[in-house]
Amino acid sequence: MLISALTSTSDLFLHLWQSVLPHYLLNTVLLAVYVVSLTLVFGVISAGLIVHTNIMGKKILRWLLILPLAMPAYIVAYLYTDLFDYAGPVQRALRSMFNWQSPQDYWFFDIRSLFGAACVISLVLFPYVYLLTRTAFEQQNQNLLRAGRLLGLSPKQNFIKLILPLARPALGISASLVLMETLADFATVQYFAVNTLTTAIYDTWLGYGDLPSANALASVLMLFIFAVVFVEQKARAAQSQQKSMINNQQQVIILSAGQQFSASCCCWFLAIAGFLLPFSLLLVMVFEYSTSAQFFSLLDSALNSLELALYVATIAVLIALVLVLFQRLSRDISKNLPIQISSFGYAIPGTVLAMAMLATFGPVDHSINDIAIYLQLPEPGLILSGTIFALAIALVTRFAAIANGAVSSGMKQIPANLDLAPASLGVNLKTSLAKVHLPLLKSSILGAWLLVFVETMKELPAVLLLRPFNFETLSTQVYQLISDEMLEQGALGAILIVLFGLFPIIWLNSSNAKTDKTTHTSSIANAFSSKKRPQRN
Amino acid sequence: MLKQTYLLGLKIFTTEKAEVLRTEPKIIKPLCRIEEPSVLQRSSVVNNDEKTKETPLYFSLLLLTIISFSALWSFNSFASDEVNVYSYRQPFLVKPLFEQFTQQTAIKVNVIFAKKGMAERLAREGKYSPADVLLTTDISRLIELQDKKLLQAFESAIIKKAVPSQYRAQNEQWFALTTRVRNIYSAKRLGDIELDYLDLADEKYRGRICTRSGKHPYNVALVAAIISEYGESKTLAWLKKFKANLARKPQGNDRSQVQAIHQNLCDISLGNSYYFGKMLKDDKQKVWAEGVNINFPNQANRGAHVNISGMALAKYAPNKANAQKLMEFLVSKPAQQLYAEINMEYPVRTDVKPSALVASWGNFKADTLPLETIAKHRKTALKLLDKAQFDL
Amino acid sequence: MPLISLNNLSVTLQKNTILSAINLTLAAGDILGLVGPSGCGKTTLLNTIAGFIAQNQGSIQLNHFGEKRTINAEHGIPPEQRNIGMIFQDYALFPHLTVAKNICFGIAKQTNSAQKAQLNTLLKLLKLDDLADRYPHQLSGGQQQRVAIARALAPKPALLLLDEPFSNIDARLRNDLMIELRSLLKTLKITAIFVTHNKNEVFSFGDKIAVMAEGKILQTGVPAEVCQQPNCWQVADFLQLGAWLPITALSEEALSEEGLVISDFSEHRQTTVSSYHSALGPIKNTLTSPKVLSGNKLVLLVKPQHISLRSQGEKNARVEHVAITEQGYHYQLSSLETKNELAFSTLSFYSDELLSLGENISITVEPTPLLIFNQE
Repeated sequence: MLISALTSTSDLFLHLWQSVLPHYLLNTVLLAVYVVSLTLVFGVISAGLIVHTNIMGKKILRWLLILPLAMPAYIVAYLYTDLFDYAGPVQRALRSMFNWQSPQDYWFFDIRSLFGAACVISLVLFPYVYLLTRTAFEQQNQNLLRAGRLLGLSPKQNFIKLILPLARPALGISASLVLMETLADFATVQYFAVNTLTTAIYDTWLGYGDLPSANALASVLMLFIFAVVFVEQKARAAQSQQKSMINNQQQVIILSAGQQFSASCCCWFLAIAGFLLPFSLLLVMVFEYSTSAQFFSLLDSALNSLELALYVATIAVLIALVLVLFQRLSRDISKNLPIQISSFGYAIPGTVLAMAMLATFGPVDHSINDIAIYLQLPEPGLILSGTIFALAIALVTRFAAIANGAVSSGMKQIPANLDLAPASLGVNLKTSLAKVHLPLLKSSILGAWLLVFVETMKELPAVLLLRPFNFETLSTQVYQLISDEMLEQGALGAILIVLFGLFPIIWLNSSNAKTDKTTHTSSIANAFSSKKRPQRN
Repeated sequence: MLKQTYLLGLKIFTTEKAEVLRTEPKIIKPLCRIEEPSVLQRSSVVNNDEKTKETPLYFSLLLLTIISFSALWSFNSFASDEVNVYSYRQPFLVKPLFEQFTQQTAIKVNVIFAKKGMAERLAREGKYSPADVLLTTDISRLIELQDKKLLQAFESAIIKKAVPSQYRAQNEQWFALTTRVRNIYSAKRLGDIELDYLDLADEKYRGRICTRSGKHPYNVALVAAIISEYGESKTLAWLKKFKANLARKPQGNDRSQVQAIHQNLCDISLGNSYYFGKMLKDDKQKVWAEGVNINFPNQANRGAHVNISGMALAKYAPNKANAQKLMEFLVSKPAQQLYAEINMEYPVRTDVKPSALVASWGNFKADTLPLETIAKHRKTALKLLDKAQFDL
Repeated sequence: MPLISLNNLSVTLQKNTILSAINLTLAAGDILGLVGPSGCGKTTLLNTIAGFIAQNQGSIQLNHFGEKRTINAEHGIPPEQRNIGMIFQDYALFPHLTVAKNICFGIAKQTNSAQKAQLNTLLKLLKLDDLADRYPHQLSGGQQQRVAIARALAPKPALLLLDEPFSNIDARLRNDLMIELRSLLKTLKITAIFVTHNKNEVFSFGDKIAVMAEGKILQTGVPAEVCQQPNCWQVADFLQLGAWLPITALSEEALSEEGLVISDFSEHRQTTVSSYHSALGPIKNTLTSPKVLSGNKLVLLVKPQHISLRSQGEKNARVEHVAITEQGYHYQLSSLETKNELAFSTLSFYSDELLSLGENISITVEPTPLLIFNQE
């Protein structure tokens, strides 16, 4: 990619640079900054309130706050732009209530703006931060916080000076996840009429038909992400994470009734805005527009979605296992590289990734066919790039970060001694992996599998471009209708996507609550936490 | 150990399909295997029956891998009597037509729909591409396909007869199925007014105009048409003034502009002709459409800008004969009638009338600018839109 | 005036009484060792004193610099205002801060130069000079402990709490560290309470001992005193002062019988004589009457050194286990009669004589002050 970037047509670059690129760049940076800070604010505040205070309705909120994860961003974006637009029901109601005539008569925030986009994207993405931070908070060594108190900090100072800095790995990882999701997401931003670097990539590629320049821009985007993630990692390289399994009674901050109420409101707002409201909007649409015929026509797509998600999740987890075991067995820092590289697939926009797949498997297919002709066998056709093979591989690439993270964090919880113990019992390495590591990794593997499953159900652009004939998934069905501004008709499909995502998430959360030790839900993309931490002792 | 499994998996993945598929019911097994309860229990058996315990796990992982790959074949089988369509159009818009075609000819129609990257996909697939027919909604896409040498010319007296030469490629590589006008919608409150495209830059409409993204192919084609008429610098000036007149940043689609007019956010918008008809047929959107007049611009001079939805034959079409049948079917009178009826577009055949609703908007003069000329100016149009920072 | 006194302190967590009616006073400069079996509430008591757990009843009085503050269920003082330092079992060093920053954490409000001076003093005192810029995970266990101590001492706390401070330390280093830390605390005149389940740590580190069981303080005092005069069997049992010989009170008539074991103790000759029966025969007490003289489950505390082998006499014990030690052979004995309520199985003694496993022997308890307890 970089090579083609260097040789790309500089004319177009110059033109873009002189016209819109600086603006796009600024938008990209601003969007990234807004979304990352908003998700951090949302996620940290909600996690802090849930773990460290006696907030009302804690039990319900604890898992309600994860649910936005099941909402595809493009659907939420559609719903919200529709709702808060000038022509949307909210502004209409306001106008009729106060008898305003034109936009000049009153002020209302512009949902189709950079900030509006950032808000809505943050509402969908903050659960990443919430989940990781919540687990980090829950696993924090209580003695550290007690030490802080005895050294003169009030509970609130404690939160700022100890709890937050201690949760920094979780914050860093979740922020980089959010960053990658944001920058890779083109469809969502488009609803808000916000142009980012991703817009420029599409423009140069599809509009100007200049793939090299598009590649160059994509490289810039990747470099940007690399740089941010690298700087963040570097900054906490020297510190060690000290995880403790001691989970003695959490010292909670006792809030006054008023504070409790407002804190509770904050969390409820996030849960409502991120999930309950869009979900009920969809439900209303389903009741208004859906017919049983629609449901049956969706069945095929639903089966396709399930099938695809099944393959992708399985392959991604298997690959993650291989990588993680490889990393574990070769205790060499440089061996972390494959796993880290594979994790950056998450940052590649789906369509770009799809193109890369076609570019990779197209020639392979051609050679396969050439060989077949040479051997006088029937031509197999495009058996890789023309089937769901390419699609599955693309999605595996994209979600490798999630699978790797979940599996490797599970692996990190297996004490290093267990690598040696079986050997001392006269069991060889293969057997010990099969009998010790795999069973212990069970919950992490399952967690990784489910997360990839959910993400695959939601994924759109790569599926759109790579799918074979007559292969509709729920997301492509919904997209067809959305692209014609008829989400009403697609609401049923959207609901199905959400529901398919919901069950694994709820299941993960409840299993997480049962066994406090498993951190799989929250350790998505732990692969980013870079180097092996020096172990204590 | 797992690497081996993986390699083994690939090895088996080359075996015959039938054999692989037979193993499918066993998919439950691996999951059970991995859920082996606890280390203690497991380690206690380590020494006793190491070998027997080990194999199922291998086996299950292998199975999973195989099954994952086995499915690939199920999508690679095409019956002989079919035709494959790569479509830029949402399938539900063309589905009734295809159904009728299948009914008449017993040829099955397979469709993939995508808006982005279709040409790239076709190019990458090269001579093994399964695509027979391409369906686009915009002239620029057709020209792009043609320029990338992804199309082939074809001889068809039927098509030649049915489609006016203006809406056919000179090299016979593509043709239009329908035409659509880039109309200007104006609020009824403005009364009956005549609007040309150049009027969009008129200062008296400052803050009263809405449009979708300038980069949308429909708008790009319009800008390209303006360029071919007035030249680059004039067009840029026009774009800048047009931009200054916008009530809001370009956003949404053509329908939402009409909605904005309905909400009194603006008075004038750009939109394709068929949206007007579609909105009138939609319960919710009817009120929006009823609040606007549909104007055919430039009637006093060159005529209204017209775009096409078109069709082309893929260069390596494997089912060429079927493809030709489909193309000829789509320009047939009944198909044209049905297409026009469903999509509210103007049939390309002069002897087929548009739907009654569309016809009620009256006759209009269409710009006779060759479509190729419009396509030629597309990139310049994009650059001018960038320069005018139209979308920002 | 004591530096800290706990009056009738009770803590209930989730309806379980963890601490009940704790009374304790500690003078300035004293080091108190809090011992007891695990789960007896030692750590809860520390946490209550530190302010992490609120008491349900009773009060804590802190007298520091002549300022007297009372903490009770109605009026609490948050931990950060109690002027108490704590060293945790896992040291709880902040992993994201360097040694220097860890130490200065509690004195962040002071001026930079004051912080610097204090830091240097502590680094020197605890021999951490070279480690100031390291992170905790780069240190050995002993070094980590010293950092934890330095960090706790930096804000000059009135009272230092230590939760099993030596449990993570290598056994060979432990003694040196204890001596080192004790002299440090004494030099700085710091009052301390430390929790341990190892009585030897109390003997080498503490000035005073408090034995806890089931949420109560059973006995407090100078270690030697508590060892000589445990006030209940749990104290003696926990401190492993000896083995238990079940006994029953004997009527006056049996006194003159032959084979009587006389526990004669010259200083206490004037006291009432009472007698007991045991599997080793009758036992006579000439000591000041212990509080519990009757009961259904009386036991006599017998230390190994108080058992001696008789060359003749009725066989009354069987050798169950033999071990070779520096003090000679160590034998574990059980009574010949095993189903009797007076049967014993844990008596042990040292002897230079070689006895064979399973051999029946005759032993007697030397005349000592009888420590008789009721195990009920």
